[in-house]
Amino acid sequence: MGRVEHVMGFPVSVRIDDEDFPGTPVDDLFAWLREVDARFSPFRPDSEVSRLDRGEVRAPSQGLREVLDLCEEYRIATGGAFDVRLPGRRLDPCAVVKGWSVQKGADLLSAAGATRFCLNAGGDVIASGGPWRVGVRHPEHADRLCTVLDVTDRAVATSARYERGDHILDGRSGRPATGLLSMTVVAPTLTEADAVATAAFALGREGAGWAAARENCEVFAVDADRRVLRSAGFPAAGAGGVAAA
Amino acid sequence: MKRALPVLVLSVAGLIPLWRYAPSHDTGSASAATAPASTPSVSSSGGTTSTVVSGSTVDTEKGPVQVEVTFDGDRIASVRMLRQPDHPQTTAAVPRLIEETLQAQSADIDTVSGATVTSDGYKESLQAAIDARG
Repeated sequence: MGRVEHVMGFPVSVRIDDEDFPGTPVDDLFAWLREVDARFSPFRPDSEVSRLDRGEVRAPSQGLREVLDLCEEYRIATGGAFDVRLPGRRLDPCAVVKGWSVQKGADLLSAAGATRFCLNAGGDVIASGGPWRVGVRHPEHADRLCTVLDVTDRAVATSARYERGDHILDGRSGRPATGLLSMTVVAPTLTEADAVATAAFALGREGAGWAAARENCEVFAVDADRRVLRSAGFPAAGAGGVAAA
Repeated sequence: MKRALPVLVLSVAGLIPLWRYAPSHDTGSASAATAPASTPSVSSSGGTTSTVVSGSTVDTEKGPVQVEVTFDGDRIASVRMLRQPDHPQTTAAVPRLIEETLQAQSADIDTVSGATVTSDGYKESLQAAIDARG
């Protein structure tokens, strides 16, 4: 079965290959993502994140504490390059909320018995079971790929400048991060893959080595000079299955 | 190997509150044990205050670790290693990245990873074609 919905500001596609998988857990997945949008969107004045930012929340919920703890972990790990509290800007934990919430949504499907499914949330992928063939969009050509992965039980996240422009800031300078065109991270969970990809993108070119040094993370980065930097363990598909064009 | 990094990060994280809380609770001998090893050096330029603090040396299983944290006002501007274990495993933790030429290719795939955020972007995307195929 397959379903596509637009939620949290991006398209979410799910494909489940388990036979006769019921629809209710998929409804629960999308209901959870809509709930996350209502609670954690900085673009909604009544969200918990917006209220916290205005000083109206004394005790953040368990979920928001998890998100803010992750944000702080990555801020420290990047020496301040990744920072969700930049001067003069509203609190914006979107980069962490996305991976964290989509991973929890995928866990709902697993708990309901799904063993082979592929969940794609705005270009961030959870591949459960497998193997799945995941293409990475070429940073300069929307209809082409720059690499293809064979993955089983892995998450793949890509941060890039090509759709929303210079939207990721380097917290150390307060200026847009421009050292990389595209940063793809493969990790056991999307919580980690997405946060590491965004944090590495904020670091710029040094982010490729920084992400590759993290345990269980494999990277494929395209720098501003269009050079590819990838880790030795990056699960690129065998050349036999890829038609170079 | 890669485990060395989390250890260092934890060391940094552990040192920051020690320093930050030391001044306000500096009532004498009680805080002496947790005070940083060196006196913070403060310099001002153009309205922002930059403070450099050296942490005390922490003994890890790989050897002694000491960091220096530069604060820009209240925020951490940078973290620098003053001492790190001179251990073969730590050296090996620096990953070797393979450099390649960027290629454009087509292939039969199940899904696409890439920043696909806007509706217009999605409509034009390979992922939309895959979803439509069902």
